[in-house]
Amino acid sequence: MSEELQEALNLAGDAVTTDSDGAVRLVGSECGDCQKNVFPPSDVCPECMSENLSPIKLSAEGKLYSWSVVHAAPKGWNLPFIAAYVDLPEDVRVFAHIVDADPDTLEMEMSVKAQIATLGSDESGAPFESFAFTPVQKGDS
Amino acid sequence: MRDVAIVGAGMVPFGKYQDKTLADIAWPAVKQAVEDAGIKKTEIEATYCGTALGGMMAGQRILKKLGITGLPIINIENACSSSSTAFREAWITVAAGIYDAVLVIGVEKLTKFGGGTLPLEKEDWEVSHGLVMPALYAMRARRYMHEYGLTENDIADVSVKARKHGVWNEDAQFRKEVTREEVLASRPVADPLKLFHCCPSGDGAAAVVICSAEKAKQYSAKPIRVIGSEINSGKYMTGYRDMTSPKITLRGAKQLYEEAGIGPEDVDLAEVHDAFAIAELLYYEALGFCAKGDAAKLLADGETSVGGKIPVNPSGGLLSKGHPIGSTGVAQIVEIVRQLRGQCGQRQVEDAKVGLTHCTGGGVSGFDHGVCSIHLFAR
Repeated sequence: MSEELQEALNLAGDAVTTDSDGAVRLVGSECGDCQKNVFPPSDVCPECMSENLSPIKLSAEGKLYSWSVVHAAPKGWNLPFIAAYVDLPEDVRVFAHIVDADPDTLEMEMSVKAQIATLGSDESGAPFESFAFTPVQKGDS
Repeated sequence: MRDVAIVGAGMVPFGKYQDKTLADIAWPAVKQAVEDAGIKKTEIEATYCGTALGGMMAGQRILKKLGITGLPIINIENACSSSSTAFREAWITVAAGIYDAVLVIGVEKLTKFGGGTLPLEKEDWEVSHGLVMPALYAMRARRYMHEYGLTENDIADVSVKARKHGVWNEDAQFRKEVTREEVLASRPVADPLKLFHCCPSGDGAAAVVICSAEKAKQYSAKPIRVIGSEINSGKYMTGYRDMTSPKITLRGAKQLYEEAGIGPEDVDLAEVHDAFAIAELLYYEALGFCAKGDAAKLLADGETSVGGKIPVNPSGGLLSKGHPIGSTGVAQIVEIVRQLRGQCGQRQVEDAKVGLTHCTGGGVSGFDHGVCSIHLFAR
């Protein structure tokens, strides 16, 4: 993992990583007993209460379930931002920001892929970053 | 289980009371409820006080002002359902025969946070990534618009109806009508929701006194019977969820109607949790007032306005009254009590016999709502 990316992970912690090709991947937990996937990572399975969980790299791409352009939020967030729910193929729904997108071009069920983005800044003005999603351009993936 | 009835109800107008303490906001509502019941304060055996953000021992801080002390005072936090939960817990104790007379309080002072969206628990993963309540409801709205052809005009019309009712309620913060155009021209909060689609913040308190039905006759010529009480938490889900269908309300309503032995067609009016305009439409369907996808038509036909088949939020709802979150559940009950007693003046629902209150609470990721509490009342 690059130095630059490590600095970028302050909001998501262990819940995000990058592949060797640079693709950003969310990391959840997979239950070794009932195979349920959860995100963010957890020490215990909400299905069977097993503690036999291990990290699972989730798909980089998911489908946009819904979104909203948010104009009112606590101090720190870059406003406006696009809030969204993204469904990943592992039956995990992720709340995330959509970045690098014109809201008028968003469509239900469109493919979006994970990336790292600056989402705001703390009281000292230092930027904070986390995973976000962006629409997959045609011919992209 | 014994039958339970409400014998006294009180509330203070919801508003901005920055300069008052929580206790000073609340005691007049409590006094009003006790006096309305005509009960001696020494006859009150326990108090359940709901507040989400009021701090430690809100009930004690309020009741010492009125000298209602030396009894069990239980403070309850359950987000926006704090005081509907308190009511439910109080109801259980009276129904079970533990107490004969119990006071229930709902109170909140949100102005202490200085405005903006409701402060949520920062330990929550989605909150830590920027989730705010308007965004959550906005995403429900957008998905519903996509699946059922709902328009922005339809959602705006919920606010228009709420404000129209609010004009007639002296306890509401907003008492001026708005037009659809004004709603749509108000500033964007979380697209497609505009400011006038969102309940105002604020401060407030409400209180009721409940008794066993037997004892209630001593105090009131018109006790309001509690004919059903229900509470549920949401089901935690990590994956796909249909956001157009508030499952917790569906489950709760089904359970409640069965318990009360009535159906949605028997309900004469309802106070529902319209924190955001879209929510009211979803609840028409979840509470069984219309079929899935028909909410906008029910509203457009005037059926949920005073004078319609099933008036919803004749008080003006949270959209007009405001939503000092811990007070909301009991304030909804106060409205139903007054409606069933025929005390509501211009907003009176004619010949109201059965009323419903519905209060949810959210802000924790993975739930549709963290909590939902529904009650049924009859005269």
